Amino acid sequence: MYSVIFFYTTTIIMIKYIFLMILFIGIHFAKGQTVRGMVADERHEPLIGATVLELGTMNGQTTDVNGQFQLKLASKSARLIISYVGFTPDTLDANFTGPMHIMLKSASSELDEVVVTSSSTFMDDLESKHVEVITEAELTKAACCNLSESFETNASVDVSFTDAVSGAKTIRMLGLDGRYVQINRENVPNVRGLSGRYGLSWVPGTWVQSIDVGKGAGSVVNGYESMTGQINVELKKPETSEKLYLNGYVNSFGRLEFNANHARAINDQWSTALLLHTNYFNNEVDNNEDGFMDIPKGRQLNVMNRFKYQGDKLVSQIGLTFMRDEKAGGQTGFGFKDDFQTAPQYGFLSNTTRVEVFGKTGLLFPHKPYKGWGFIYSASYLDIDGGFGRDNYLGREKTLYGNVIFQNIIGNSFHQYKTGMSMLIDDFDEVYADSIFNRQEVVPGLYYEYTYSPGDRFTLLVGARTDFHNLYGTYFTPRLHTRFKFSENTTLRAAIGKGYRTPNTIVENSNILVSSRQLVIEENPEPEVSWNMGGSLVTAINIGSKKLNLIADYFYTTFENQLIYDMDQSSEQLRVYNLRGDSYAHSFQLEGNYQFSDRLSAKAAYKFYDVRATINEELREVPFNARDRFFLNTSYSTPFDKWEADATIQWFGSKRLPDTSDKPAEFQTRSSSPDFLLVNAQVSRGFRWGNIYLGSENLLGFTQEKPIIDSENPFGDNFDASIVWAPVVGRMVYAGFRYKIKR
Amino acid sequence: MKKIITTFALLITIQAFCQKEPVQVKEGFKVEIKTSAICEMCQFTLEKDMAFEKGVKEATLNLEDKVLSVIYNPKKTDAQTIRERITMIGYHADTLARDDEAYKKLPMCCKDGSHGTPIPQVPLKKQGGNQ
Repeated sequence: MYSVIFFYTTTIIMIKYIFLMILFIGIHFAKGQTVRGMVADERHEPLIGATVLELGTMNGQTTDVNGQFQLKLASKSARLIISYVGFTPDTLDANFTGPMHIMLKSASSELDEVVVTSSSTFMDDLESKHVEVITEAELTKAACCNLSESFETNASVDVSFTDAVSGAKTIRMLGLDGRYVQINRENVPNVRGLSGRYGLSWVPGTWVQSIDVGKGAGSVVNGYESMTGQINVELKKPETSEKLYLNGYVNSFGRLEFNANHARAINDQWSTALLLHTNYFNNEVDNNEDGFMDIPKGRQLNVMNRFKYQGDKLVSQIGLTFMRDEKAGGQTGFGFKDDFQTAPQYGFLSNTTRVEVFGKTGLLFPHKPYKGWGFIYSASYLDIDGGFGRDNYLGREKTLYGNVIFQNIIGNSFHQYKTGMSMLIDDFDEVYADSIFNRQEVVPGLYYEYTYSPGDRFTLLVGARTDFHNLYGTYFTPRLHTRFKFSENTTLRAAIGKGYRTPNTIVENSNILVSSRQLVIEENPEPEVSWNMGGSLVTAINIGSKKLNLIADYFYTTFENQLIYDMDQSSEQLRVYNLRGDSYAHSFQLEGNYQFSDRLSAKAAYKFYDVRATINEELREVPFNARDRFFLNTSYSTPFDKWEADATIQWFGSKRLPDTSDKPAEFQTRSSSPDFLLVNAQVSRGFRWGNIYLGSENLLGFTQEKPIIDSENPFGDNFDASIVWAPVVGRMVYAGFRYKIKR
Repeated sequence: MKKIITTFALLITIQAFCQKEPVQVKEGFKVEIKTSAICEMCQFTLEKDMAFEKGVKEATLNLEDKVLSVIYNPKKTDAQTIRERITMIGYHADTLARDDEAYKKLPMCCKDGSHGTPIPQVPLKKQGGNQ
């Protein structure tokens, strides 16, 4: 009986099946080379001038007056990024057969800060500034650990080595120190002031969703501080990130890291994310046997809790963050609890607490996505308690920042503008040895930025801001950006702009002060003022069936004033004075990337920096800058990233080193460093739940011989740990896992 | 008795039609599984999930007939395990019905009737007991 019923059902199903098969025959899925479709908003109104870009290429189009587009694809398995001012960008597979109907959601408080969650690095063809976007997929190619190490697979940002004691890594851009780059976290100024030196290590890598790297002058909307470039870091969002993300990491020196992110929707309007990071390292590594720890001991607890409210007309975000970071370095035997002023060893201690409340609120006009009000704010408190050798350092910074932005169009979307006002209150209290440095900056500012973009070929962006600095008078900051697309494959960009910043003498030299050098501040530091101008040419050449993407850029930075940190005049002093003469940096970069196959791609870059400043009344090369650099990154991955392998090779040319000829012969160092190679590599294996990875930094194990001068007598007159031009530690091997639960 | 035999014979024919047996190929065994996939997104989801399935060497979905061709190592897995996995992704696999919870989590474009496709039939049997 059972089988009869079974048979009966089977027959019916079979008939349906055959019927369906007949239906399916009529549908033919051919893989076309051209995709077409329409981009519309949530009310199905066509969006005019929306950008449709093939991911990883310069191939893009804008929609016409009916929201229609037609795009010839470069590769078969292309993905498209669709973006429009005021809307959340969307990324999707382009292998649709029929016309695509793409609906973008209004983005609200993000204004036009593009957030893209897709793979690898790319440039938006229609962006008027030279901006590279580093996505999460790119960031995981170098697994460790925080923002200072997030640029290892990017050619435009150089990671430098600071001193042999604190172990801090800082960045350089356009040949100049990272302090001239404005580093924002979600458009709030972040790594600046007293967090300038270590701040990059306080942003855990697993919190980062994407990083925008802008070369040259930035937008006036974010202030006057971008002198050589602008880096904006977008963190994991409550509304989009994984329900659970766990990451564990261990390296061959014994450093442990643990990260946990959790995000969820509370109800239709509210969502929240909790981000947690902790690291611990308590081993003494002294591979070069100079009695000094090659890497300081460290422990950190870093927590962020953020909330988002998404309404029809109001979008709001608020977040809270707490960070405690402790470092103890110097001679072996020195620990977290020791007092560097009385300990027998030379000690280095840095205990930092940072608390911040930040957020943004956007007011929307639902039928006018180009129009909106935004308010970005942050209040933070930073406390550094530490010292090096016998000298203590105490630093405290209280910062209040607010920025109100209004965005609209004039007549039609060819003419867009942003205007607003900002307020910065920054209160500094510092004690170094027996000197006290206090200052309070109050800087209200106004700005206006106009964009003319009559289609996808041309954009002109003119911006200016005026800030009224309570200590240094009025800052007028003009900026100009232009973009011209010659052909489907070739885009030229040019920019010019002025920038300002207030130097923070002690913090910026905390690496140099790890020495017997005496700090001599000759005069009151004046604000640093620079002009930056330059441009880039992006083009693609067909080689075989694939495109070779080429990016050539040149930027010139010249200082009207710069605070000179002179290590050359005397090897027993660090002399600080305002620029007397010229100071400039020429930067040239040629980068090419090529996708050999679906699995293999490579990126190579050559960089040339000519950086000179008037040091000790002589225009000479700035120390620690490699004139020539070469960069090569190759990536291999099997389908769906089941296996991924990455290798990065960096070659550093010779660098000029500070003059030590006035030291006794046995304590003199070479006048320039030799060239050397650094290799990083990583392999990862994907699973449904995430992945595991194994990698190595400094695979060849190149280290600087004797990074510390007279390490036997750290309290003597010749001790100097600041002349560091290469890694101090050798090969490091690491392993870790990432476990993800999607929502 | 004769009726039962006829039924059985028919049943075997039908089974053979609805569910193909694995065949040996150079890289291992190959099985073709009829699925309820609809679009490129389904193709991506299925092929990606199969890339991480134990013993599976290659999986390709033909969007014309919605048949997923899977090449696998018979020592590590079998056709039935693969079909069961497909149901756990949210798709019918030959005569096995999809897991409802997994189906609910699929993107809108992979739901019944999207892209103007006909709503797929309900397969024969629910996956019983073995979950």
